[in-house]
Amino acid sequence: METASQLAVRLTKQSRDQFWNVYTEFDWPDSLDADRYAMTPELISIHGTELWESLDEPTRKRLSLYEVGNFFSLTLQGERPLVAGLSDRLYSKRLTHEGTEYIHHFIDEENKHMIMFGLFLQKYLGKVYPEKKIALDRTYAKGEEEVAFFCKVMVVEELGDYYNVKMMLDDAIEPIVKQINWVHHRDESRHLGFGRRHLTELTEQWMPTWSDETRAGFSDWLGQYIKSSWNDFYNPTMYKDAGLEDPYQVRKMALAHPLTAEHRARASKKLVNIFLRLGLLLEAPVL
Amino acid sequence: MDEQQIRAELREWILAHAKSKPSGELTDQTAILETGLLSSLDIVEFVLFIEELRGDEVDTDDIEPEVFTSIDTLWEGFFGQAAG
Repeated sequence: METASQLAVRLTKQSRDQFWNVYTEFDWPDSLDADRYAMTPELISIHGTELWESLDEPTRKRLSLYEVGNFFSLTLQGERPLVAGLSDRLYSKRLTHEGTEYIHHFIDEENKHMIMFGLFLQKYLGKVYPEKKIALDRTYAKGEEEVAFFCKVMVVEELGDYYNVKMMLDDAIEPIVKQINWVHHRDESRHLGFGRRHLTELTEQWMPTWSDETRAGFSDWLGQYIKSSWNDFYNPTMYKDAGLEDPYQVRKMALAHPLTAEHRARASKKLVNIFLRLGLLLEAPVL
Repeated sequence: MDEQQIRAELREWILAHAKSKPSGELTDQTAILETGLLSSLDIVEFVLFIEELRGDEVDTDDIEPEVFTSIDTLWEGFFGQAAG
């Protein structure tokens, strides 16, 4: 099987062949068309619920703008620590020479994604939704922090890619949103390939050295992390901005609804299966 | 909602989401994170619950992690006179 280093050589070439300029890639329209959906309706967080059924079409379309704004914001917010962590690993023993070469492109592309999302958000929403996370120190077993970092990378990228692929194929939504999703997916497919291979090698290196207690604790943390990543899709401020009443209640209703639970399970299936196969998750989490 | 009700609501939320039962009574001085009652992954949910109680959004850029030390510090940081 191809190693992460061998794969990195191939991906570096692809990144160089497809090198793009974030400032010339898009023709930003002055405004978005209020008669179009900004996000694929099936991906909207309350889709299928009784509340969704009760909304008129203009309200659904208005909500779709804030939903895609929240999706782009949480992706941007997820990419910030990712870039910081990847930069920290450049030219260190944690990466091979080939890995470092590729991580330069990984960081460059992630930076461009943040610019791209930031431009969209400032132009059409006038803001980036802040994240509510607060980093707290914790202790790790040897190798655990490294494995956890690349798990977090995979969560933000795999969940985001599920949405990207749906929207890049949807001709009914705003063309600029469709294009952003396509551009994001084009780079992310390489990042995901590298991330999966690298995480596999890290897991094979470190997990055999962990105690049963560490393994169980890691699995518990990872399940909670995926769950908490999903919770970010149900942002009360986004509901409030779209004009929905009782935004905190909307969030609770949406998270508890069986149809949205089915959506989360479906969208996470690939991600969860990778973690189960690697043994990082001991059982599938209830999302 | 007065101070005592808010403190009671915070206590109830912490106990409902605690990873383990507190060794003694959960007082307003009990170290919530240090004792492992809540983890960093609970913070987002907790912040949203606090927003609902306050009726106002929380800007986490303005918040130091120490504010999550105990119910006393939560009250001071999010609801007391110093809260923004």
